[in-house]
Amino acid sequence: MKTNPENSFSTTGKIGKSLLLLLPMTLLIFILSTGGKPNFSSQVSLIAFLITFFFFNVLFFMILYKGKVDKYRAVGFILLALFFALTFIVDLISMRGTMTFNNETALACEIPFCHIVTTMIILPVIISGSIIFPGSIIGGFASITSMLVIVIGVMIALGRGFCSWGCFYGGWDDGTSRILRKPVIKKVNPAFRWASFAVLIIVAIMSLLLVGPFYCDWLCPFKTVTEFEKVTSFTVLLKTISFISLFAALVIILPLLTKKRIQCTTFCPMGALCSLSNKINVFDVSIDKEKCNDCMLCTKVCPTMSLEKQDVEKGKPSITCMKCGKCIDSCKRGAINYHIKGTPVGKRLTLARMLFLYPAFTLLVVFTSGTMQQGIVLLVKLFTTGSLLK
Amino acid sequence: MKKLLAITAYIWAIACIIILLAAFIKNDSFAREMARLPFIKLHPVYSGGDQAKIITEPGLETTIYKPVFDRIIGESKVGFVQLKFTSPTDTLPLIINKQIDYNFDNATDFNIEINTTTGETKLKPVNNLVKDINVSSRVKKSWVVRVNVLNPARNK
Repeated sequence: MKTNPENSFSTTGKIGKSLLLLLPMTLLIFILSTGGKPNFSSQVSLIAFLITFFFFNVLFFMILYKGKVDKYRAVGFILLALFFALTFIVDLISMRGTMTFNNETALACEIPFCHIVTTMIILPVIISGSIIFPGSIIGGFASITSMLVIVIGVMIALGRGFCSWGCFYGGWDDGTSRILRKPVIKKVNPAFRWASFAVLIIVAIMSLLLVGPFYCDWLCPFKTVTEFEKVTSFTVLLKTISFISLFAALVIILPLLTKKRIQCTTFCPMGALCSLSNKINVFDVSIDKEKCNDCMLCTKVCPTMSLEKQDVEKGKPSITCMKCGKCIDSCKRGAINYHIKGTPVGKRLTLARMLFLYPAFTLLVVFTSGTMQQGIVLLVKLFTTGSLLK
Repeated sequence: MKKLLAITAYIWAIACIIILLAAFIKNDSFAREMARLPFIKLHPVYSGGDQAKIITEPGLETTIYKPVFDRIIGESKVGFVQLKFTSPTDTLPLIINKQIDYNFDNATDFNIEINTTTGETKLKPVNNLVKDINVSSRVKKSWVVRVNVLNPARNK
């Protein structure tokens, strides 16, 4: 791959410097992949660790060496979504014998707390001082407090970068939006980028009125690839039709046709909440107006419609930016870069880029390494025994 | 001033990786601290409400919870009362048949009969406020039933 000299960083094309800057990440990948205590119960788990460890090191090295972010980020991010779904479903079927949850799981308050639920508990917590979700407060898998600590930490550290570097659902529409080389639907009204804020408001209010997580109950497309309510009534049947249809439309068909991350951009309430956290986050993406020639290529490639003509004129994307790096990679004049708020635009590009990439890539490793290792072990099991189940 | 702002921004950017790592590596201790906050508790609709009385008999312990009518704002017309049956030997009787006085007025409000093998649950209301069964399910080694009841304050 040829690198445009105007779009190069001090690591681009330099093996020594790239390896040097990879070193701290290598250490982090090792710690995060092993939990700091390497303990491999079998040869397969050792192999799974080695593959994962090697994979992430290569990925980060390529980001540095090639000077491209999105291309390599997306590989890890899509694998995160696929391995998460695989391991989650296999775990559920091994434990419960089905992907459906039943009264027992809800009454025992053991339903895993997903980060999207955060958007539904905020108003009830403020008004009634209690959480409207049948999950475990502490302990067990994906407890409420454990996930809230992660959500708060990630939103402070990366803002909406969460949606491109850590969300274990985002990889689905990120993946489907990359299948076709050119979009079939060439223009999507950029006003749709604000739709997720409307969804956030509706979901927050409905959850308050219904004393239940409205989005989880009725709208979440990702139930299709995680867990869902057992169909025991007409109402549950309607809910099931709703989430399967939304998955097909928003996660598969529309991203495929538009090459945009439609679910994340228009329908995810967590995306809207994370967009708000972009306001307090120190990292953003900036456009150096001295280098920009207004070719508007960035506005075409942005998967979240966060860059429109008026944003380019302002020199930065809208608050809905997920910091995926696609616009940075696409800019032929190197005018777009990661930036640290409060610092001059167009200066110390590599420093700003590295200061963003370390936490962002760490987040990708944290979420992916465990599920990837578990997924590899499961796939080996599938090939050797013909079954995925434990 | 601009330089000071830039230095502060770089320091804050470096702090971000520390914040991120802390959120994962020290997750357990932060989660424990968060769990102590007064608003980190489940809404009664999910927790089943507060325990009101525990009746211990040979082979079976019956926990009666306070009726739950809570909404986020105000109370609902219909709520539920939760019952939990636990066996000290971890083996529930095949049939649980109990007369329940959930409002503690010394009069039976309903009779409940549960077949713990099939899950079949029969309710015989005595009190007019008792409606029907909301849910009846094994939960680990216990059996939990929620019976829908009318809110006396909103059904006068």
